[in-house]
Amino acid sequence: MESNPPKIVCFMCNWAFCEEEMHVPYNVNIVRVMCVGRMDPALVLETFANGADGVMLAGCKPPDCHFVDGNLHSERAVKMLKKLLVLTGLGAERVKLLLVSPMEDKGFGYYAKEFSEEIWNLGDCPLKKAELASTIKANIDAAKNAASAFRLRVLLGREEELTEFMNAYGEKISEEEFDALLDEIVEAEFIRYKIYHLTKAKPCSVKELAETMGIKPSAVLRHITNMRRKGMIALDRVEGYTPLYKALEVR
Amino acid sequence: MSEAQKDFEPKIVGFLCNWCAYAGADLAGVSRIQYPPNIRIIRVMCSGRIDPAFILEALKNGADGVLVAGCHLPSDCHYLSGNFKALRRVMLLKKVLKELGIEPERVRLEWVSASEGDKFAAVVRDMVEQIKKLGPNPLKMEETEGKQP
Amino acid sequence: MAEGKVGAVLVVGGGVAGIQAALDLADSGFKVYMVDQSPSIGGVMAQLDKTFPTNDCSMCILAPKLVAAGRHPNISLITNSEVLGLSGEVGNFEVKVRKRSRYINEEKCNGCGLCAQKCPVEAIDTYNKGLTDRSAVYVEFPQAVPLKFKIDREKCIGCRTCQEVCKANAVEYDQKDSEIVLNVGSIILAPGFEPFDARLKSEYGYGRYQNVVTSIEFERILSASGPYAGIVLRPSDGEIPRKIAFVQCVGSRDAQLGNNYCSAACCMYSIKEAIIAKEHVPTKLDCTILYMDIRAYGKEFDAYYKRAQEEYGIRFVRSRVASITEDPATGNLLVHYVGEDETPRIEEFDMVVLSTGMQPPKNVEKLAETLGIKLNKYRFCQTNIFTPLETSKPGVYVCGAFSSPKDIPESVAQASAAAAKAMAIIAPERGKLISVKEYPTEKDVSQEEPRIGVFICHCGINIGGIVNVPEVVEYAKKLPNVVYAEDNLYTCSDDTQKRIREKIEEYKLNRVVVASCTPRTHEPLFRETVREAGLNSYLFEMANIRDQCSWVHMHEPKEATEKAKDLVRSVVAKARLLKPLKNPTVNVTPVGLVIGGGVSGMTAALELANQGFEVHLVEREKELGGHLRKIYYLLEGEDPQKHLQRLVKAVMKNNRIHVYLGAEVTEVSGFVGNFKAKIRLSNGEEKQIEHGIVIVATGAVEYKPKEYLYGEDPRVVTQHELEEKIAKGEFNAEKVVMIQCVGARNEERPNCARICCGQAIKNALKIKELNPDTEVYVLYKDVRSYGFKEEYYREAAAKGVLFINYSDERKPKVKNEGGKLKVAFWEPVLKQEVQMEPDLIVLSAATIPNPDNKHIAEMLKVPLTKDGFFLEAHMKLRPVDFQTDGVFLCGMAHSPKFIEESISQACAAAARAATILSKKALEMEGIVASVDEDLCSGCRICEYLCPYGAIEMLEKEGKTVAHVIEALCKGCGVCGTACPTKAITLGHFTNEEILAQVRAILKEMEVATA
Repeated sequence: MESNPPKIVCFMCNWAFCEEEMHVPYNVNIVRVMCVGRMDPALVLETFANGADGVMLAGCKPPDCHFVDGNLHSERAVKMLKKLLVLTGLGAERVKLLLVSPMEDKGFGYYAKEFSEEIWNLGDCPLKKAELASTIKANIDAAKNAASAFRLRVLLGREEELTEFMNAYGEKISEEEFDALLDEIVEAEFIRYKIYHLTKAKPCSVKELAETMGIKPSAVLRHITNMRRKGMIALDRVEGYTPLYKALEVR
Repeated sequence: MSEAQKDFEPKIVGFLCNWCAYAGADLAGVSRIQYPPNIRIIRVMCSGRIDPAFILEALKNGADGVLVAGCHLPSDCHYLSGNFKALRRVMLLKKVLKELGIEPERVRLEWVSASEGDKFAAVVRDMVEQIKKLGPNPLKMEETEGKQP
Repeated sequence: MAEGKVGAVLVVGGGVAGIQAALDLADSGFKVYMVDQSPSIGGVMAQLDKTFPTNDCSMCILAPKLVAAGRHPNISLITNSEVLGLSGEVGNFEVKVRKRSRYINEEKCNGCGLCAQKCPVEAIDTYNKGLTDRSAVYVEFPQAVPLKFKIDREKCIGCRTCQEVCKANAVEYDQKDSEIVLNVGSIILAPGFEPFDARLKSEYGYGRYQNVVTSIEFERILSASGPYAGIVLRPSDGEIPRKIAFVQCVGSRDAQLGNNYCSAACCMYSIKEAIIAKEHVPTKLDCTILYMDIRAYGKEFDAYYKRAQEEYGIRFVRSRVASITEDPATGNLLVHYVGEDETPRIEEFDMVVLSTGMQPPKNVEKLAETLGIKLNKYRFCQTNIFTPLETSKPGVYVCGAFSSPKDIPESVAQASAAAAKAMAIIAPERGKLISVKEYPTEKDVSQEEPRIGVFICHCGINIGGIVNVPEVVEYAKKLPNVVYAEDNLYTCSDDTQKRIREKIEEYKLNRVVVASCTPRTHEPLFRETVREAGLNSYLFEMANIRDQCSWVHMHEPKEATEKAKDLVRSVVAKARLLKPLKNPTVNVTPVGLVIGGGVSGMTAALELANQGFEVHLVEREKELGGHLRKIYYLLEGEDPQKHLQRLVKAVMKNNRIHVYLGAEVTEVSGFVGNFKAKIRLSNGEEKQIEHGIVIVATGAVEYKPKEYLYGEDPRVVTQHELEEKIAKGEFNAEKVVMIQCVGARNEERPNCARICCGQAIKNALKIKELNPDTEVYVLYKDVRSYGFKEEYYREAAAKGVLFINYSDERKPKVKNEGGKLKVAFWEPVLKQEVQMEPDLIVLSAATIPNPDNKHIAEMLKVPLTKDGFFLEAHMKLRPVDFQTDGVFLCGMAHSPKFIEESISQACAAAARAATILSKKALEMEGIVASVDEDLCSGCRICEYLCPYGAIEMLEKEGKTVAHVIEALCKGCGVCGTACPTKAITLGHFTNEEILAQVRAILKEMEVATA
């Protein structure tokens, strides 16, 4: 158990808590945003990369939202964010979405303390462990790219429409089905950007990549075929019986 | 390497046969395979149509490199044997080039099939790099030097 | 329903066979509807990397056919569709077709591909056999025809992204399946095959072990446009394999599975795949083919097989593979097999390719039921030896792998053959349903200063998103002679065609330049447009600023814009010099000449006559029939002599056919459409005829063996002689030894004679039928009973015919020892030499080229193979054409073949001939060479170089000058490049035009960098 309290960053909706009444523990830094719906998952990942041990996103509880449904949007974004955090090795628990109603008795201080303790109990942020730091850092980069990938942004943007109303064929996609698809795509994009970064640093073989990332070589190869199709990667050279791939500069 | 040479962007003219090489270049496009924008392609029906005079004219007009590309030997040629004729002509031309003081490597003959988009892009990439190393077309240098008072 | 017969044909299946049939029909004046269940045409051939035995790139030779079918005015492609019902009768059918929804409006989609790029969902890429993924909105492959996208409804989540990005508004999520009714006179079935599902052969581990792949998967792995970009990789770990095994006969020749037939093409495609793999792998690669018999029975196949062994070092192991297991640690595979000596072995490989056989497509029963045709026990289409193209329903014909497993050239030949059949029954309706376009009279612009209009395409955002199109437009406006320039969202759209025509009027344009995609697909469209506006269609030129600019420089918008300007400038420079060209026409004499009166020649003559053409049939012998006269019975049971009599009668009483017996063609001159021939008649007189085409059907002869005491000992006979003995009741031996490959597969004649294995099996079965106790031994190198003939091989073995393998190193020895006929041979299982005293030794003598071939080849100026058979224009896609237009071949003149194959080829030659004879005049491509006679020095270099014999030397005003036979010129331009006096030039690609392009392309680049 570490001796210093964890560093918490809280992105807080401008309309969520009344500032005067707020008890803010000293290990919690508040960044005001206009709405939690505005929170880009890539920004949260960046926050972790810069040393935060936990990130809170605080906004208004539905049905209240100054921007109609920003908070609902944030729920979906956090869902994806948590998936990415698992993939990076930071763990889903390090981020928390807090949607409170103005009627709430408990003040911000209560929640902040509660989250602080949760993070404290998780132990050291893996990023601070020397042997893990570089891997996690690279993972965060890949996760950031993945979060900004067009495919994911499109899906996230359409989730509500597709799962709550109807898709282009007048059908509703079940939450489970959509989640499964999202999981698949989040993972694929994460792995592909991971491969991208690794092969950008130096040309790598399928086996090396598989070993570094702890996934099956056959899966790596399949991702590479898809990355080739998208112009992300190319063959660098063949060494003996092993092709090495390199990321394509321009993206 | 001088400043001018470092920024040197070679100009390459490509003569491509319609059926294989040009189709291969199209496939590179359809597959979005990126390559440097230094090449300008002129389409001919058959690599056997490519007159050494065209290549010389390109070099005379300041091309730093010329790519001639046709169908694979021996039997891919749409017109039976035009590729063999191209091979012979380019080989002969290369001998002449040496005598003119132009590096024969500036002229390159490649066989690219309609399904080799990758190969076409790789050839262009490689050629641009190679010609960057060679520097600008010496004919062009002479011309500019000659013009200086 | 229309009354009477209908001049339209339905072709079911858009593979290479369907395409060939459709093109032949459409080129002969019939309307064609081509229905395919895939979203695009091309079939399995579109998935292949290379083709045997020439190693041609499959897509390179197929793509022009795809494009030709796609834009043929007489062919309607009805893709993504299936046949639902059939009514009516031969000559007038009604076919109900369901068009399944693409969810993309085919009229609006211009194939730009933006939807696929933006689609967030991935699906398994079926074109690449599941080795990679594609988006949920897709085309099967980049060269797809029609280039119309389709939404994979299974995978699409309906997120509307494609709809939003599609600038052409082509996405229609509410599109429904629709039904249409087609009225046709006849039907051709070409649904092809599907590869055997290797999972059913579970002992081979396909589906469980990643490094066990099927041959089609391996084709994609080999392909430069495949998932691994042409590097051979193991799917398990992406490493390059060192040792690959090819396991033959997976799903074929397998009685357990009930697939008691040979798939006919797998031996050859495996050899090809092994060769190509070795070429693709930079390091050392061992390829081993585990086979039962290598069935390299086709033209030049054995030479290819030999090269595989000798040049490429591919290892061939005669064996049966029992099972395959995996070493989980390495992903390597342990192949358990039994070799020739019956010893079980285990060998480790990095990768295993299963040579999966052909089987009829899944839905074929439904199709058969819908159309009312019979299938055979393997679910292939039922046909007969003498009617290999007819299904059980009149007016419905079959071709390609659906009638029996076969390779590409045989499918193509059958396709043309089926076309001949399909058009014959509706011959009077020729030309009635096709559209003939009326164009305005061409304006004479020869005296005008060039006035160029430039149309620059955004292609949605495909070009406009990278290249600054308005800037290029402004730039183009400043170029000399450009009087008008504009940009279009899609220059290829219908409304832009209208605009281009209007602008030609408004600005008096006499040259048009379009800067957009590739001329390979779009030039014909724009040429058509300028033609509709009264300009000569060659006053048009294209700059490719998409495929070769915006798409390949996506991250360099500035450079891409500069490049686009250069390309436009270069093309404008060429446009300035463009000259109108005429499409030369030659009149056609609608008469055919068929040389050779065997089964092929007679069939070809009859088919031509059935289509309404007059035919001269010239036979050297005093009687018709050729080789068929010596065939008394068939494996399949039909009576060949009866068929021969029928055929001869039909030929003799057909008043369109003029038969010359005991006659010889002594001279043929002229060219396509306009030949003249001299025939020396039996009475010594000479007759001259005029004709439009020639079909060579001169057959082949049986080799007279020099080996094995043939001719010395009367107890040594050939298979034909045995057949005659049996037929005449003179056979009475108790012990018979047959020796295969006599005069074939040796140093002198390296290729297989194809039909002798079938003959041996036929005669062996006949002997067993006469007396089951007669001992029959067949000494063979490989038993090549391909296709359904495999069944008879099995039957013979079951009836006690012993098949014993021999190799070149240990050929059988025949001797006469004191009057006793003895044969000694090595028995590979017993591993010892065996001696026998047969009553009769039967030699399977090769079928060798007709000695007349050489003289006929010289007369017609067509080539022969090294072996002395006639050499067709293209081994794969033009099996019955010669390179010389208007000259065709069929039957054993091409190579040894069975009767049904000769009949197919003969019908094919007739169909190909009909594409010429059906036209009053042939319109040729306008891009041909022309000679400036003043400059011509008569040096004959061009005559020598022209691969098509399109240049002849004429005496004019006391001077020898070259003259281009426009009908034969294909427009390659090789002559012009070689001409020392620059007297001969190729239209549309003149030296001046190309040099202007060169100068323009380079000139301003200098200005820009200065």
